[in-house]
Amino acid sequence: MASTSEIRKGVVIRQQNDLFVVVEFQHVNPGKGAAFVRTRMKSLATGKVIEITYKTVESVDIVSVDFMTMQYLYKTGDNYAFMNMQSYEQIEMNGDLAGDDAKYLKEGLEVIVGMYEGRPVSIQLPKKVQYKVVEAPPAVKGDSASGNVTKEVVLENGLHVAAPIFIKEGEEILVNTETGEYSARA
Amino acid sequence: MSNWSDLKNNPRLREIYTQRLKMIRLIREFFWSAGFEETATPAAVRFPGQEPYLNPVPVLFHDSAGVENKFYLQTSPEFAMKKLLAAGFGKIFQLCRCFRDFEQFGGNHNTEFTMIEWYRAPGTLEEIMDDTEKLFKYVAEKSGIGAVEHKGKKINVVGGWERLSMREVWKKYVGVELDDYLTSEKMAELARERGYSVEASEPYEDLFYKIFLNEIETKLGLEKPVMIYDYPEQMCSLSRLSKNDPRYAERFELYIAGLELANAFGELTDAVEQKKRLEADKEKRKQLGKETWPVDPDFINAIKQIGEAGLPAGALAEAGGIALGVDRLVMLFTGAKDINEVIFQAVGDQLDKTF
Repeated sequence: MASTSEIRKGVVIRQQNDLFVVVEFQHVNPGKGAAFVRTRMKSLATGKVIEITYKTVESVDIVSVDFMTMQYLYKTGDNYAFMNMQSYEQIEMNGDLAGDDAKYLKEGLEVIVGMYEGRPVSIQLPKKVQYKVVEAPPAVKGDSASGNVTKEVVLENGLHVAAPIFIKEGEEILVNTETGEYSARA
Repeated sequence: MSNWSDLKNNPRLREIYTQRLKMIRLIREFFWSAGFEETATPAAVRFPGQEPYLNPVPVLFHDSAGVENKFYLQTSPEFAMKKLLAAGFGKIFQLCRCFRDFEQFGGNHNTEFTMIEWYRAPGTLEEIMDDTEKLFKYVAEKSGIGAVEHKGKKINVVGGWERLSMREVWKKYVGVELDDYLTSEKMAELARERGYSVEASEPYEDLFYKIFLNEIETKLGLEKPVMIYDYPEQMCSLSRLSKNDPRYAERFELYIAGLELANAFGELTDAVEQKKRLEADKEKRKQLGKETWPVDPDFINAIKQIGEAGLPAGALAEAGGIALGVDRLVMLFTGAKDINEVIFQAVGDQLDKTF
């Protein structure tokens, strides 16, 4: 059994004979009262999402997950293929488990993959990822005067983001993977 | 995140920060025009609050000879402001930084955050409710953000607000009469029935919150802002018990879009009872294995003074006060996704953890 302070994204919790991977957690500590951890977890068996709130002093059954650095290779059907950077072994992850984060993957990107009993259950992306801009409409004169300070650009992996009008095709930019927003020129 | 390059390059984050600066000004304007005095009290104190689950940040001050004195950064200016009430400053507010250690860097928490507290002595909990509603409506009107969005739904801040008792929300969302569940035994029974794991001798408050946080809190304030009042007596904290029904305490919390924004008390002005409760909290800290310090003796004296101030013998003065998280207020109005988006260089951003 473990303490609730060990709850974070990607850990796996055993709850009433089912295993759940934590997708979101939020500490609730109103000050005038007890402290809690609110979690959103996805069932490894069914993909169903549940919300459970634990007391911070409660113990939770966190099963052992190995976090390994892996390189993203390619998409194969509904799955995503990664390579373990230490063993050079290749694994495939189910698209449902990768969830919305999958849209930030690009060939060669290093991510942290949570492995439970040899099976990938979660990915953690770097906070900022560098991408090459492959399509950027030219800035139109007067754009910034009329209040248009951003435009939509397309990145090497097909991701669309709003970027400042001065960004040109071929440039490298940093994107925040928590919000999907432009962060800076790389 | 909100570093300088994000503010420069990301129009959404820039707008959030611009709104933050404006809202801080609006909050001050509101209280000045309502006749409150703006106060300042120390950020570092020798004897911080005794809340069992809060962790003040310790700091060391050295005199010119190098002699060390241990202080703590305030978790709230509550004690100091009540001392000002004792000094005769009757309508006061303060916008200040508070610090709470061992909390998440992000989400709804940052170790360093901005709080507004205001007090009325004499004053009632109803007056504090009125102030709260007027403050939000003032900020909403003046900032031009009259409604806030939550999961695709609009919540009108300038329209009608709700005031519901704990009894009413337990009836509405859990389907039980809270009056029948005011002991640990009964609440433990209810929690077990509803499928929660219950350990032996769990305190009432923990059992209450197990059900409240899972089944009630996330549904609060989804249509309109709601103030929930009348907390069971076990959760009175520093509030006084209700004159009409001493099984409940004069306390309310404000919820908008499932987010807890403020906690208010009809202030306990009985110094003997106050000392007893703080000593009990200190004992609980000890049991939890946390650092302890003496109950601030000057605070207890101040409460004694407020309680006795100019009233007929035997009666205790009425005072009301509230603490409201300013960062959360800004999050709510701007639709920020994370507290780090409303703070310039939040702790998490300074640490710049890439994973």
